[in-house]
Amino acid sequence: MNHELFTDLQNVIVQGITGTHGAFHTGAMVAAGTHVIAGTSPNKAGQKLDGIPVYGTITDIKKDFSIDASVIFVPAPFAKTAIIEAVDAKIPLIVCITEGIPVHDMLIIKQHMQEKSSTLIGPNCPGILLPGRSKLGIIPATMGTPGSVGVVSRSGTLTYEAVASLTERRIGQRYVIGIGGDPVRGTNFIECLELFEKDPAVSHIVMIGEIGGSDEQTAANYIAASVKKPVYAYVTGHHAPSGVQLGHAGAILDSADESAKAKTSALQEAGAVTATSLIGLIDQLTSDIKSDHLLQ
Amino acid sequence: MKLLEYEAKTVLGSYNIPVPKSSLVDDPEDSIPVPTVLKSQVPVGGRGKVGGVRIVEKAEEVSNTASEILSLTIKGHTPKVLLAEELLSIEHEYYLSLVINKSAAVIELMAHKEGGVEVEEQSNFKRWPIDDQNTANVAAELADYYDFNDTENLSMLLTNLYRCFTQSDATLLEINPLILTVDNKLVAGDCKMTLDDAARFRHPEWDFEEAPANANFVTLDPHGSVATIANGAGLAMATVDAVADAGFTPANFLDVGGGANEASVLAAFEKIMEYPNISAIVINIFAGITRCDEVAKAIISAKDQISDLPKLYIRLAGTNYEAADELLTSAGIPLLPSLADCLAAIQENSQ
Repeated sequence: MNHELFTDLQNVIVQGITGTHGAFHTGAMVAAGTHVIAGTSPNKAGQKLDGIPVYGTITDIKKDFSIDASVIFVPAPFAKTAIIEAVDAKIPLIVCITEGIPVHDMLIIKQHMQEKSSTLIGPNCPGILLPGRSKLGIIPATMGTPGSVGVVSRSGTLTYEAVASLTERRIGQRYVIGIGGDPVRGTNFIECLELFEKDPAVSHIVMIGEIGGSDEQTAANYIAASVKKPVYAYVTGHHAPSGVQLGHAGAILDSADESAKAKTSALQEAGAVTATSLIGLIDQLTSDIKSDHLLQ
Repeated sequence: MKLLEYEAKTVLGSYNIPVPKSSLVDDPEDSIPVPTVLKSQVPVGGRGKVGGVRIVEKAEEVSNTASEILSLTIKGHTPKVLLAEELLSIEHEYYLSLVINKSAAVIELMAHKEGGVEVEEQSNFKRWPIDDQNTANVAAELADYYDFNDTENLSMLLTNLYRCFTQSDATLLEINPLILTVDNKLVAGDCKMTLDDAARFRHPEWDFEEAPANANFVTLDPHGSVATIANGAGLAMATVDAVADAGFTPANFLDVGGGANEASVLAAFEKIMEYPNISAIVINIFAGITRCDEVAKAIISAKDQISDLPKLYIRLAGTNYEAADELLTSAGIPLLPSLADCLAAIQENSQ
């Protein structure tokens, strides 16, 4: 993932702009500095939402505007069509907030996205907050403060927890990215780690993982091979029973190497700083940053 | 959602995947032709080892055996019905399954030359990515691996399995054993099938015995001493971890969800009250979509409606925190600044 996706971010659309969540969070995004130029809603074309024009399709919007990013709030049964519509319209960045998309739909979407130019974040994610700049999604903007930490997380609420704790300790963030809790998703840890490593404005990385799947192990291999910036990692679910889904679909412990313990050790071996609680991790990061400043 | 064997085999049959001739038995006096295999329909594995699957050769023994299996509890489950299947003449048993490889975002065929009940202990499974274009090629490679000469038969089986897997919104379809009969037919001996609950909206035909598990409320230890209420799977897991690390036994995992409101939180309190040994309830909410004042209202109603409510240790943050603080303070319910403070307070009170 390239940081130009975010630095060049101008025109944003909202798919499903007239729904309850779509309408509410469009307002919040605008308040956070996001330039929402239009939205889609199949039956409400021609209307306006707080002055933002509503179109029937993305093709219609493109007649009037260029589009840098789309945020999707449409309900799960229609989400596959919405994502594919955005991909086919060559929108560079697509953030899908929708929860409960069937996994077979995600397989079709991932297949469809091969050889295409779009980047998909989510689904079932809180989206992206660029503190002091803008946001794409539902992360409360007031929690963040501008700075140089890159945060990536599979869990929505733990993202909030991490960002609020950083802000409370006066440590600002460059990126806050929730990649989502579904087992098959658009963007993974690696793409975010790559973004953080390459963007010179990022100094420290916070990564929050969960039980289930092998993405934290893959991320650990990537960190060992390609990440030089300091990584602080926490994996939740140390006391999860095996074989039982906990909350969202991705959080299921199917085998021993999907456990929080195994993932934490893999990240530790890759050189990441780990902790048994998220707050413990943030405290460690805080004290490391403060001692760095004292040394300089 | 996990299907019972007979339900999974009904689904297989509807995609022309061969299954043994069978009937369902819920009364031991039902007439059952012999020889037959009687199989307990319980949603757990390992039933064969504890007498849940038995071959009956003699007509006079059928009703006694059926009656025994019907009353046999296996890992906490007593069957509502038995599956009575024809006895097949087995030449060989293979293992075959379709799974989703999450990180590669593809469907995979997994196979092993040796099927049967001990397959979990086998390693060296063969794996192929499979889609609607490559089933013939995969079938050829599978036939080679199985050392099975009827590639056309395998190819048809794989095509049907792939259709069954995708059209049923399955996340697991395991045939173990896949039986090769002495007259060279491939038949699904046993079948495990898991369906994606998220796809329920497009499957009005789904009507199965087992209710889908509630993923948002999971009992960890019914005799635990500390119950948890949190929002979001990650924060809920982190809360359970913190309770255990503080030396207590967490009774449950509970994610009240992104849209937590008064009714859903009140329902959670009622479920927690079913545990016998709870001395403390930790409430840990970081509200994004959720609103803290809604949660606060639920806590106040719970205090009013549930007389023997254990002591509450509450940490709220995020959307509408100020309104929640006001509501709870005027109701005389204290808030704590962090989860760590909640756990420290429990420790203090339990000494």
